[in-house]
Amino acid sequence: MITFLILCAVSFILIILLTPLFIRIGRMLNLTGVDIHKPHKPIIPKTGGPALVISVMASITMYLIIQGFSTEVLALIISSLIAALIGFLEDLKGEVNPKIKPLLLVFAGIPILALSVYNPRPVLPFIGVTRLTKIYPILVLASYPVVCNAVNSIDVLNGSVSFTSIAFFTAILAVSIINGLEYPLMISLVMLATLAGFALYNRYPSRIFAGNSGSLFIGAVMASTAIIWRIEVVAIIALLPHIMNEMHVIFSMRGLKSAKQHNSRPILVEEGWITANPDPHAPLTLVRMLSAKVKVREDILVRSISILSLYSAFLAVLTSILFMR
Amino acid sequence: MSLLRNTLTIIMLLTIAWIGFIIVTYILAHTLFPAIEYADGTLLIGLLRVIVGVAIIALWIYGWYTLTKIMLRKMLS
Repeated sequence: MITFLILCAVSFILIILLTPLFIRIGRMLNLTGVDIHKPHKPIIPKTGGPALVISVMASITMYLIIQGFSTEVLALIISSLIAALIGFLEDLKGEVNPKIKPLLLVFAGIPILALSVYNPRPVLPFIGVTRLTKIYPILVLASYPVVCNAVNSIDVLNGSVSFTSIAFFTAILAVSIINGLEYPLMISLVMLATLAGFALYNRYPSRIFAGNSGSLFIGAVMASTAIIWRIEVVAIIALLPHIMNEMHVIFSMRGLKSAKQHNSRPILVEEGWITANPDPHAPLTLVRMLSAKVKVREDILVRSISILSLYSAFLAVLTSILFMR
Repeated sequence: MSLLRNTLTIIMLLTIAWIGFIIVTYILAHTLFPAIEYADGTLLIGLLRVIVGVAIIALWIYGWYTLTKIMLRKMLS
């Protein structure tokens, strides 16, 4: 218990100290993005990812030093670092071809297979433990592009990635406590402490963005935790708003395309007020649905998205209690 | 008020998707997974069950997307 409290404190203090440093580094290296929803379009550093990575990795490594080595946690570390690196390269070089990016993210799943830390017997509602020996490794590789891009695609408003991820890890924390899972408990606590600290800088009005490195890193931690500790179903349900957003974007844009390639934007912004684009050909996104026929401020929209994520987290825990025990 | 209505509509959509997921896994429990777990039938029956399972998942996703599109159209009208 004390170890967990120390880990939370370390993660929180690290992110609080590191984020201002990375805000300065981002400005110095010109690793910035335009906050397009604000009337004066401020330039914001998108270097939150490295701060998140260092805080989480330092705390997890500390846990391994105290409690002993774990191959499962090592696989999670390598997978998440690969995803963060892909995101960081995208932050540095600009947007990667949306058809190539999912292929690159497949590499994040390789450490899980190489270190053999997966169990091809996922636990499903009604079915219980099932055997997916041949299909499961393919699902492992496919899960990284899906989850990482889902987290990436919800990172469109100030603080949205922080608060929706907090909801996800709250569900993982609850399920870990209920089922007595030590490592997912530790990882969710570290992620919650880190994301809570990061949210102080990332919330409206953002002083830093997570960037692709941050969102892909968070997505990889989510996918790895779900796969290694066999809580795939809980993760899928907790990620329903993310999956809904990603799936609808892909379907409505008829394939993997960059939003910049699309003529019509999902939302219209006027003096800081956001409203859904009435154009029937505009991409279908969660933000567009929430702002249908209403003018909303960005921070209020983030609150609504967070409520949706918390609701999904509740459904995930409910599924675990009702159908998987 | 409209934002509340929109949020509640999406909560309803998420609930439908969740119930759909539970129903899909229930159906899969009786189709796809027995085919994998106990490959005692002929290859054709096993294959047919797998196709049924995959088709059910695809139908769930398509249904969810179609329902969302209809809802959005209603919300925008």
